[in-house]
Amino acid sequence: MQKPLCVSALCPYGAEECPLWAETQRLQEECERLRNLSYTDHLTGLFNRRYLKSAIDQEMERTRRTGLPTSLIMIDLDYFKRINDTYGHQAGDEALKWVSQIWRKNLRRIDIPCRYGGEEFAVILPGTRLRAALKAARRLQTALVNSPLELQGRQVALTASFGVDSYTTRDNLTVRSFVKRADHYLLEAKIRGRNQICYQQLETAKPTPEVTMDERSALFGAPALPATEITEPKRASKKG
Amino acid sequence: MKETTLRNSGPVTACLSSGKGGVGKTSLSVNLAFALAQKGVRVLVVDGDLGLANVDVLLKLQVQSTIRDILDRGADPLEAVVYVEPRLGILPASSGVPDLADLGPDDHQELGSILQSLGDNFDFVLVDTAAGIGSSVLWFNTFVDHNILVLTPDPTAMTDAYALIKVLSRDYHRKSFHLLLNQVKNEAEAKQVYDHLARVASHFLSLDLEYLGGVPHDPAVSKGVRDQVPFIKISPRSKAALAISRYAERLLTWAAQKPANRKTAV
Repeated sequence: MQKPLCVSALCPYGAEECPLWAETQRLQEECERLRNLSYTDHLTGLFNRRYLKSAIDQEMERTRRTGLPTSLIMIDLDYFKRINDTYGHQAGDEALKWVSQIWRKNLRRIDIPCRYGGEEFAVILPGTRLRAALKAARRLQTALVNSPLELQGRQVALTASFGVDSYTTRDNLTVRSFVKRADHYLLEAKIRGRNQICYQQLETAKPTPEVTMDERSALFGAPALPATEITEPKRASKKG
Repeated sequence: MKETTLRNSGPVTACLSSGKGGVGKTSLSVNLAFALAQKGVRVLVVDGDLGLANVDVLLKLQVQSTIRDILDRGADPLEAVVYVEPRLGILPASSGVPDLADLGPDDHQELGSILQSLGDNFDFVLVDTAAGIGSSVLWFNTFVDHNILVLTPDPTAMTDAYALIKVLSRDYHRKSFHLLLNQVKNEAEAKQVYDHLARVASHFLSLDLEYLGGVPHDPAVSKGVRDQVPFIKISPRSKAALAISRYAERLLTWAAQKPANRKTAV
């Protein structure tokens, strides 16, 4: 603990044991403690939903400035209700703590794991492209599968569903719509039978082909474009 | 020495892009720059292929610092410029640096102000961009006044040039494009390819493409590349060199005109 430089210099009355100074110190520490509490999920120790929102906002702004994408993994534990129903709510809490701890160990220091609510989680991966984000999701999936939870003397296998998405400078999204899009892939993973990772497939991620079929045939098949259809052929010759 | 000051408000800026790689962009950029310098104007060639730079190889340059060093380590842009002729400077890029090929918006803004301040020392700035439709290619194309599209009569080169024109006009509101045909049999073939592409662009994109010219197939070109000397220097009477010299004259007239494409704020 570092002592303040000189209490008497800071105290308007020059008192060595200044009560105002001690109070200021106490309030500062309290402020720090409350700030931490305000963005921590008390059960799991991960960041909470409030922090998630502001962190995504900040990372999306970073993407717009640097051009490096921000990735987001939305996760939901599979069949979580069964644990609550079978083993009780305390066991449910144990499970949430257990997975949080496993996932935290399998993330990088720059990643931001959050509890989104209930048994849903979100991980922000700053400056990360979709491919790397998918790798991270697979790592989280495998780590969970390999670490069954012990409840009342029984090994309970846990799995989760993952929705992965990336925000790039090409996207025009708000924080809300980015989370919604990632959530959509999570829902898809659930529908496909759980314990899956879903994400934007390349075919749909690709922008519409720049050169359409019509343009292609006009470029290669010389007769595909009859002269009558041509608008303002100012510099174009009528032949060929 | 003849010293021509063309404009009092900054240089003419143009970039050579192609969509497809291997159509001879770098060779044409370098030779155009030499031709312009021979005509008495001060020219800066910017190697815009930020990931796989080539201009330095083509000219056998001893590179001190590159665009990357300027951006990353604050190297002096003026010192990075290598003069190959009294009036011809080259701003080199780094080779084999994949992460720089994709600069972010902040980096582009920085690069823009660097090029703007460097440009004060020149009458012409020619950017030799990378192939493809990457973010830096698009950025260079919106940064300059004039867009030159280099293509060969090969269908893939035509399609890729067309795709680049389409993206630039649709998403970046660029309206004026000059076509420079390379490796053509003769002027007639160049004109034919231009006519065809111009017709398609007029029909689908409502754009009037402009014809800059055609550089004929010429053994002098490949010899220049192999010997790392611009063909306009070693074979000044070759067909390709004469053509390039004519197009350099055309570029000189741009200095007198208003910029065809308004310079976009960076």
